[in-house]
Amino acid sequence: MIHYLLFAVFFGLLLLGIHRKVIARIQRRPGPPVWQEILHMFKFSFKSTWIPQTASETLFVAVVLIAIGIWTAAFFIVLAGGSLLIIFGIYMLHKIVEHGFGLSSGSPYGKFGGVRSVISAASEIPLFVSVAAITLFTKSLSISDIIAYQEVSGPLILVIPLVAVAMYMVIVSKMPFGPFSIVESKELVSGYKTEHFGVWRAGLEICNGLKTYVLLMTFILVFIGAVPFWLMLVLMVLIVVTLSFVCALCPMLSPFDSVTVQTLITAVMIVYVALLWWLL
Amino acid sequence: MIGIGGQPLFMLPFGDIVLYFTPFTLTLFILALVFTVLVIISKPERQIDIVFGGDAYLAKEISISEMKFRRFMAIACGLASMGAMVTGDIFDFALFTSLVGICNVGIVAAVKSRHVQNAAYQYGLVAMSATVPLFAGAAIVAATTGTLSILELALPGATKVPLFVKALLTLGVMGEGMAPFYAAKAEMFRAPGAPYVIMCSLSSLLIFLRVIEVVLTV
Repeated sequence: MIHYLLFAVFFGLLLLGIHRKVIARIQRRPGPPVWQEILHMFKFSFKSTWIPQTASETLFVAVVLIAIGIWTAAFFIVLAGGSLLIIFGIYMLHKIVEHGFGLSSGSPYGKFGGVRSVISAASEIPLFVSVAAITLFTKSLSISDIIAYQEVSGPLILVIPLVAVAMYMVIVSKMPFGPFSIVESKELVSGYKTEHFGVWRAGLEICNGLKTYVLLMTFILVFIGAVPFWLMLVLMVLIVVTLSFVCALCPMLSPFDSVTVQTLITAVMIVYVALLWWLL
Repeated sequence: MIGIGGQPLFMLPFGDIVLYFTPFTLTLFILALVFTVLVIISKPERQIDIVFGGDAYLAKEISISEMKFRRFMAIACGLASMGAMVTGDIFDFALFTSLVGICNVGIVAAVKSRHVQNAAYQYGLVAMSATVPLFAGAAIVAATTGTLSILELALPGATKVPLFVKALLTLGVMGEGMAPFYAAKAEMFRAPGAPYVIMCSLSSLLIFLRVIEVVLTV
């Protein structure tokens, strides 16, 4: 299992590298090599590490471990076919981790990144609408039950396409350089992760790789179903390429607009699920 | 069978009040515990304010008395969150949720700044108003089904809780869980945050996740 976990980290980082490369090519730049994020992770592992004098030391270090811990737990829950609700809970807890990263350093840049993370909580609400819609059809939130349902009734992406779109938007909101990436926009230097450097940043890179892999794997299992391993990897790359197009072609929204757009998406989803509930 | 949270791993009955862990609530409980321990052992950040338009910056120090009060409130908030995660009774859940709201007001209100206290006051009004749908929801559950036990209500064949009651409970939790927005508002006026304000975000998230489980189960 550990070797699969390591594979997930490296493949997740590779996906983020592909994301950067595709965005660069769309914008007619050469872009970094696709393994750049993996190199970043190694580079930060060997750079000098410090804790700022203004930081809350214990929290500053603990959030890095918690970030890796929660996504490792999410990875194993998905593999075991566990509850989708726990995965979504972990996804939301990542927000707390971002807030913790920003708060713990004492830096105003980090803090504003953390504050933006809190106010962009609107992006999580479509998750619950997705959960409600999936429950309407599968009568269960266990990933193994959802896969079994799809073997009989076909992929959920064809049954409830708008719910798949809502989940896709949730993944968009977590991708770097996207329209909703307000937590790490450049006017805040690097946002919530500004002060985490050296080994702490390497830990954050590991968390990002794992998070990308887990979210894409969950999306495929929940909306397409069980597929051969090689096909899952191909699908992940394809989804990342589509995400890169969205991120490259949409400008980053202001914090206010970002929350407004996400709230509108949520409102549409609530109406859609209410309609489904009414029809069923 | 206890619905979407998974099979109970552990039950501790106190008469008709039953505490239990499902895989879902256990995950949330552990996180509340971890962050409460962090609040206990962490020292607060020392804030830096940048003076716009120049290179100057100011370092803020937090007084010991303010730090002690905020730490006490954050620990109480962590304990209330843990209570809301383990309880198997809708009234107790409502009670723990309102306690989370009160503690969150305390965490923000302890800062001696006019802007921060304004944010705390506004949040206090929202939290107070939210207790009405929250406890009304719990009362109507008892009136319509004859029980407040989530375990009883999750049984096949049990009387179903009306949809509008589920909406009331969710509305109540949304009101009590508004804290992160007001904490963020306070932070924008540079209220010292770590590690206490993080408990506002965490507790709100936890009660929100639990109420989703409860309304999908009963």
